[in-house]
Amino acid sequence: MKLPHDSAHNHVQGLSEYVDDRPLLKNELFVDVFYSTRAHAEIKKISFDKVLAHKNIVAVFTGHDLHHNLWGTIFKDQPLLATDKVQFAGEPIALIVGSDLADCQRAKQLVEIEYNDLPKVMSIQEARSKKSFIADARFIKRGDAKEAIKSAPHKLSGRITIQGADHFYLESQVSIAYPLEDGQIEIHSSSQHPTETQHVVAHALGIPDKDVVCIVKRMGGGFGGKESQAAPFAAMAALCAQKLNRPVRIVLTKDDDMIMTGKRNPFENDFEVGFDENGRILGLDVQLYSDAGAYADLSTSIMERAMLHSDNAYYIPHMHVTGQVCKTNHHPHTAFRGFGGPKGVATIELIIERIAHALNKDPLEIRKLNVYSDIENRNMTHYGQKFENNCLPKLFEKLEADCNYQARRVAIQKFNRENHQYIKGLSMTAVKFGISFTTRFLNQANAMVIIHQDGSLQISTGATEMGQGVNARISQMVTSELGLPRHQARVMPTRTDKNANTSPTAASSGTDLNGAAALLATRKIKFRLSEFASKLLKTPSDRWASKTAGLGTEPEIELEKPNLDVNDPNEGAIWPTGIATYFGILFKDGMVYHEDQPEKKIAFSNLILEAYLNRIGLSDYAHYKIPGIEFNKLSGQGNAFLYFTQGVACSEVTLNKDTGELKVDATDILMDLGRPVNEALDIGQVAGAFIQGMGWVTTENLFYNDQGLLLSHAPSTYKIPSVQDTPRHFCIKLLENEENYANVRGTKAVGEPPLLLALSVWAAVNNALMSLPHFESAPPQIKIPATNEEILRNIHPDLFKMWDA
Amino acid sequence: MRKTITFYLNGQRCDVEAADASMMLADYLRYQKSLTGTKVVCAEGDCGACSVLRYFPHSKGTDADRFLAINSCLAPVATLDGSHVLTVESLKDDSRLHESQQSMVDCHGSQCGFCTPGFVMAYAGLCEEKLSRNEKVISEKECKNSTTGNLCRCTGYEAIITAGTKMDLTKEKSLKDRYHSAEIQKELESVFNQSVGLENSEYQYFAPKTAQEACDYLSSHQDVRIIASGTDLGVVHNKRKLELTRLMSLHLINDFYAITEDKNIITVGARVTINEFRHFVKNKIPELAHYIDLFASPQIKNNATVIGNVANASPIGDTPPALLALNAEIHLQSTKGSRQIPLHEFFLDYRKTAKAKDELITAISFKLPEKNQILKLYKTSIRKDLDISTVNLGILASADAGTIKQITIAAGGIAAIPLRLKKTEQFLMGKKLDAAMIDQAIQIAHSEFKPLSDVRASASYRRVLMSNYLRRFFSEVQV
Repeated sequence: MKLPHDSAHNHVQGLSEYVDDRPLLKNELFVDVFYSTRAHAEIKKISFDKVLAHKNIVAVFTGHDLHHNLWGTIFKDQPLLATDKVQFAGEPIALIVGSDLADCQRAKQLVEIEYNDLPKVMSIQEARSKKSFIADARFIKRGDAKEAIKSAPHKLSGRITIQGADHFYLESQVSIAYPLEDGQIEIHSSSQHPTETQHVVAHALGIPDKDVVCIVKRMGGGFGGKESQAAPFAAMAALCAQKLNRPVRIVLTKDDDMIMTGKRNPFENDFEVGFDENGRILGLDVQLYSDAGAYADLSTSIMERAMLHSDNAYYIPHMHVTGQVCKTNHHPHTAFRGFGGPKGVATIELIIERIAHALNKDPLEIRKLNVYSDIENRNMTHYGQKFENNCLPKLFEKLEADCNYQARRVAIQKFNRENHQYIKGLSMTAVKFGISFTTRFLNQANAMVIIHQDGSLQISTGATEMGQGVNARISQMVTSELGLPRHQARVMPTRTDKNANTSPTAASSGTDLNGAAALLATRKIKFRLSEFASKLLKTPSDRWASKTAGLGTEPEIELEKPNLDVNDPNEGAIWPTGIATYFGILFKDGMVYHEDQPEKKIAFSNLILEAYLNRIGLSDYAHYKIPGIEFNKLSGQGNAFLYFTQGVACSEVTLNKDTGELKVDATDILMDLGRPVNEALDIGQVAGAFIQGMGWVTTENLFYNDQGLLLSHAPSTYKIPSVQDTPRHFCIKLLENEENYANVRGTKAVGEPPLLLALSVWAAVNNALMSLPHFESAPPQIKIPATNEEILRNIHPDLFKMWDA
Repeated sequence: MRKTITFYLNGQRCDVEAADASMMLADYLRYQKSLTGTKVVCAEGDCGACSVLRYFPHSKGTDADRFLAINSCLAPVATLDGSHVLTVESLKDDSRLHESQQSMVDCHGSQCGFCTPGFVMAYAGLCEEKLSRNEKVISEKECKNSTTGNLCRCTGYEAIITAGTKMDLTKEKSLKDRYHSAEIQKELESVFNQSVGLENSEYQYFAPKTAQEACDYLSSHQDVRIIASGTDLGVVHNKRKLELTRLMSLHLINDFYAITEDKNIITVGARVTINEFRHFVKNKIPELAHYIDLFASPQIKNNATVIGNVANASPIGDTPPALLALNAEIHLQSTKGSRQIPLHEFFLDYRKTAKAKDELITAISFKLPEKNQILKLYKTSIRKDLDISTVNLGILASADAGTIKQITIAAGGIAAIPLRLKKTEQFLMGKKLDAAMIDQAIQIAHSEFKPLSDVRASASYRRVLMSNYLRRFFSEVQV
């Protein structure tokens, strides 16, 4: 099914409502956030006198006005508003409330503040030397990596520097808080995690969860940046609304959003690898260090995923991974599509490139030699989970042939010998992305399905819509189960008074979790409707309730088994269709009938009316939890994931030797996405994630001053890919895979994995540089992102040396 | 004198006084008109989410007769005087979506939807252009070029490009035909015949009918800022670094829309947009047109003026190195009279120019390169398109068998002003280029400037870029 996004027709007309599109109420106020410009300092003195004297300013609030000032998803360590001390440039300090947003912004410049600077930690290196850490180091170990490296015929060691990236969701952080009777607060937020937003607001204001409802209609992009970090801004708006008893709107400018909010965690990873003369890896010791910024946020979980992905597609018999989260005075870094995965994967993919360089072999040969395989039992991950349904060898073989890899390799070698101004590189990298939250309790969801008397449906889940099409997929699953067109169901805004205790829409799990829950809720109703229909269809239609209920002349149809209680969304379903059948009743094309009597049909909407009149419940609620997740974080062992989404990509790049400019000439992607609910939406996710990842590894450069204040805080200075940067040839194909029995309807999660395939672009840059004579003995040292400047530095190290002094 | 700004919005007349005229169009649409389809993301013209279409019947040139995409976040409402503006809400025709909308739906061109109205408007602009030329087939290149000013973070653009190529123009009627009636045209023309003055306690705005009136006003109001489209001033305003409260606009002065060629001299009037300039030089100086392709976005180029880009005297502006290389002259006028000075005498220091406070820039002129002259223009930025230069460089030279007869070199991004490298030029005059001579010239060039390290690049990168550009140019001339 390739139906459009369920909101597409509204998107194109500008009719889709985002938080800031809600009509302004007459007494509504705006907030602007005053934040620190110092990395680490005591606040000696602060005065808002001039702010309050500015026209249209109503109030100023600080951390002292909050009931609880600390929040945090994993550790409650972060002040909503810093009071005595700031720990990063961009840290919120005060809320300036007024009737005109521009005046709030002008008045903000009138805050008088004096700081007393404290020693600061601005890099992973500094944090390591000062032992400035968050939580203890974690380990994942298999075998004896040190010994395996020591006894290996070849060894290599090195470091990879990986910078962060801004989410650059188009819609900046935004919330509106409406004060309601009895001290209740209604929050409209652009949040991936309404439940947490509700909890953070309630906690900050000192009111019970029952008095806060968080509503998320849609986001203008999230990408992880609104998983934890939407909540504090909601709490800020709520504080002002509570204090002033007026609706309050907080809409960040892109600049302030980028300065205040955390990014993808920077990493600096050290590795030592031992391998044989063919390039087969014998042992790997990798130490991951991440920059968390000033507070924990999600960094420990992000590190965990980085450690779990340091093998990527490759079987490494002896492996030792260490992960240490560093505390610095940067904005607190957070989830970003892929979480820790890209940082683990970048490391091992670089190691492969280095091994190829050392042995003077094609990197693809090294990849294929090391790929996970059922042959010789090379299919157990370093954390002790057996890798089932491994498509990687097939993906490599197929893409190598489809994209004409070997012939292009020869052509590129010739090009690089002959061309004076340009060099080319080619690389194929892979992804094996574990699907599930690594924190077990997050792997649950609930959903409510309502069928109205006309046969139309409303679906409510904890999933939030940020463009990925989770609503479209869920409604397709539900309506197909009932044999209805998709437009017969509407997925309602996510509300914490309908679906509570939900998990963030994150970890690519939105459809897996919420789709399964919605399908289970649908099946509960379908189960009842099926028994009901089987009895109704045996009754002459002139005795149906629609004709007799008012008179009460007929007995009610009663159900013998009104409840279905299952957790597996595939239980009872026929595998090829994924649709469950009960009591022999089929739901098809808006009609309902017994499989043995297809000629005797009742329209779905008529069945619903009859069911209602017979007092059959037409709404239901279901809870779903992913089975079999048992990963022990302390031992680093266990089944961390339900299954793996896999893929490969081959990218070709051209570098300009005068300027370092990079052009991606071609990218071919082949992915295993199981059996997509909506292939068009899945392809869209692949393309979007890839280009987003390409930005991270090429042009997106976060540039800070010495206080850690972000200077590249707008698209004029922070360059995400534009339409002209897409690969000239860009081909995305899906592998047929009918065998993902673990997940709802045999689908696979798609949100994050393709982002990691953008590392093929970065590896291709590396590959191009390796053709330069000065890299014959020692390989290039290229960080992420490979900006034009970074590339040119590698092309002309001698010229840069002249000027760097 | 009129006391209101007059423009049409989706076919409806708007007469706007000082308070609303001082707003940015995007805010006016969203908050005053409840037209929330137009989104604001960056407020600096770098994302296109705020794109609207604007028809300005008084401009001259290739694009003069149609609706063009512009950034509403940077357009003070006052600058729309005499225009007709269409927003995304105008596109649907009864129940039928515009092709730019339907195709985006059919091809899955939207995900989160926040950038979508901007892309749809950029494509609607492309449709207007194609329809005005009676062309029905849309190429991938046209799709990319028309959406270079729009950022999307979700789709990776593939679906958007496909959507663009699949727009079926045989089904589409031009928006101009749908919205811009002869009566509206007539009303806007009559508006244009009168100067405008707006004033309240916080805002003062004046638009004269003639250059003389403008000079008179300037001589008595020397603190007034001259605003063209606001693509530069709008940014500083939005970032709260400057309040645009005292303004003069030259949009009612007919002569300033002229771009002419007379005896190989091209003269560009004060209101000529970057895109009109590009159209004019496209066949005359292809190198310059190609260079302008890398300048900002279509939305900016449709609205921003060449003179504005020169007058703001940014060291990283894109037209100055090209115009300096072409030995352009800048035309100034005041109540005391007119004068013409070479452009390299115009840039004095960081954002400081030789223009006196009571002077007005009326035009810029330069001679077409001669047949034996080579013009080369270079630009490197972090991202190829829609980005500000890290370094840009213009060189105009003539050589005879590897001997330099004449040369002008000017660069941006390496000093406080767009810089002519005069010592290097002098050194090279009459020299025969060989490897040693090239090395020496590059060395002299480097002695003429000292670039900074900043958010875009390190000083070293700028140095190496300059070396490599110069070496590339000289080695090409040498051959």
